[in-house]
Amino acid sequence: MATKAAVSVSVAASITAASSSSSKFVINTPHRFLCLKRLSSFSSFSASALAIKCTSISNCSPNKSARSMEGFTTRTRASAQPLENASELIASVETFIFDCDGVIWKGDKLIDGVPETLDMLRSKGKRLVFVTNNSTKSRKQYGKKFETLGLNVNEEEIFASSFAAAAYLKSINFPKDKKVYVIGEDGILKELELAGFQYLGGPEDGGKKIELKPGFLMEHDKDVGAVVVGFDRYFNYYKVQYGTLCIRENPGCLFIATNRDAVTHLTDAQEWAGGGSMVGAICGSTQREPLVVGKPSTFMMDYLANKFGILKSQICMVGDRLDTDILFGQNGGCKTLLVLSGVTSLSMLQSPSNSIQPDFYTNKISDFLSIKAATL
Amino acid sequence: MEQVSMEATNPNPSSMSGVAAASAAELLCCANARALLDSVDAFLFDCDGVIWKGDKLIDGVPQTLDMLRSKGKKLVFVTNNSTKSRIQYANKFQSLGLSVNQDEIFSSSFAAAMYLKVNQFPPHKKVYVIGGEGIVQELQLAGFTALGGPEDAEKRAQWKSNCLFEHDKYVGAVVVGLDPDINYYKLQYATLCIRENPGCLFIATNRDSVGHMTDLQEWPGAGCMVAAVCGSTEQEPIVVGKPSTFMMDFLLQKFNVSTSRMCMVGDRLDTDILFGQNAGCKTLLVLSGVTTQSTLDDPSNSIKPDYYTNKVSDILSLLGE
Repeated sequence: MATKAAVSVSVAASITAASSSSSKFVINTPHRFLCLKRLSSFSSFSASALAIKCTSISNCSPNKSARSMEGFTTRTRASAQPLENASELIASVETFIFDCDGVIWKGDKLIDGVPETLDMLRSKGKRLVFVTNNSTKSRKQYGKKFETLGLNVNEEEIFASSFAAAAYLKSINFPKDKKVYVIGEDGILKELELAGFQYLGGPEDGGKKIELKPGFLMEHDKDVGAVVVGFDRYFNYYKVQYGTLCIRENPGCLFIATNRDAVTHLTDAQEWAGGGSMVGAICGSTQREPLVVGKPSTFMMDYLANKFGILKSQICMVGDRLDTDILFGQNGGCKTLLVLSGVTSLSMLQSPSNSIQPDFYTNKISDFLSIKAATL
Repeated sequence: MEQVSMEATNPNPSSMSGVAAASAAELLCCANARALLDSVDAFLFDCDGVIWKGDKLIDGVPQTLDMLRSKGKKLVFVTNNSTKSRIQYANKFQSLGLSVNQDEIFSSSFAAAMYLKVNQFPPHKKVYVIGGEGIVQELQLAGFTALGGPEDAEKRAQWKSNCLFEHDKYVGAVVVGLDPDINYYKLQYATLCIRENPGCLFIATNRDSVGHMTDLQEWPGAGCMVAAVCGSTEQEPIVVGKPSTFMMDFLLQKFNVSTSRMCMVGDRLDTDILFGQNAGCKTLLVLSGVTTQSTLDDPSNSIKPDYYTNKVSDILSLLGE
């Protein structure tokens, strides 16, 4: 089995923990980024070598302007500019990566002007990719959601963190005779199955109960070689214990997180505790930090850049969250556009405690249509 | 009462660089056991992994406690396990054949209620609990209104577009402790309170990563539930249990003993031993719980107790009593 020794993973220092103020929105979150440095002896997932370089991770402490991380220097970023020349931005990139929640839809409601905007970009020959940290659905299931909303999006253009977890295991040649324990929902299970991995856990363990009484021993499968943790509405003590036992007692067992979002917009009306909560729980019991495959880790960026043969400088990342979407784009060396149609407001962006500055910001993606109509 | 500062506990012993480089822990033997006994007026015992494991008493404990009492030593039990109130713990001791008074027990459930009391938590505000009956009872005993706790174990959230997950706007504090009935509903409720109720406190009874909830194996501790709430709120809690010395103020009130004449006996380095060290007590690590000899000796461990031994009853056998 590919042990952690075989895949050298350097994990960048975390962003400083949030202050304990009761302000609703806190930018600085503790994150561990998955930064992969592949050894050439490993065969890759696709036929061509998947060269994932050790990427620079920007450390967004508000007190530091320029930091040097592992030989890279992150420049002091100028404040985000309102998007005034959409055609110029469109012309300067080849690919648009869109986050979904708060950018394309909110809950199950499409945001105004999205279909026309996507059509316009496609008509200009732009490649469109959708990258979401939401691990509850598989790519196929997301494809159906897009279809239901009347959007013409191919499954191959969608990269959910559920897919990322399976793709990561594939990229390290996770042995097929090992199993994966899942604290998460159906999307993760489906992607693992598609990738040919055996899994345990998932929603059905949500009904399992524990009785803490003398003589009771919880057994766990010694063949579990990885625990994947993501957003889980069926979270319970049984799963926490199972995952904890695997990580603590199975030699070399990996601890993988789909993402660490603190809150998520499951319904359009309010915020809901996100994957960061479940992942936090396992960190708390194992005292280990996970490998994060979702944003802001650049794993998915590296994966799709390699898959489609695109240069990251030719990409614009469009998202509504500073500490996942925009950081993801910046970590990957892309242009970044923040939309205010999701969780981030203008005042949050401009708050002195915020140090993540996208290149541009605008209200919503359909602004591409109205701001200086693009002519190429 | 002076407000004791709460340091957010770091569960990783190796990063406690603030602790002065201590000499190696001494194995308890006849000579130093006698010296320890003579230099100490009060013994503070952790419970899980020291007195009992789950519901099973560890060998030789009753006789050892009796011997210590017969020598005029004061005994106190300081536990991070918040699932029971002090009264419930007294009952547990009794059911195991140990005679321990409620006043001799300092549980983290009690600590949480006391923290709110000493900080004048307003009586019209409510407390949301992720944890067991112990926390709820102690809060009620202290005159506070508790929501959540075991009652919310079977609650489920709804996901329909028009359904709003409601939470009480009068919740002014969320207390998180060990909760084997943890579920998404509770996490969401606590998250909304902390993120949306202005000034809402986030209090952790403790942050132990694992503990011996049953005799046969370790189970995730309060550290798990607390970290889950940290994950969704992006906030760090006020920790009232070990290694925070908050409880020490209450102990000192009860006994007229200086902390240098106390010995903390526990099985966890990053809670029990650190608590003892932070408070200026002597410290004795027992290997009958979560810590092994190799963990103690590991180069990455920087928390060194004054003494260590296999189990509590070694005190008895070494003294040849």
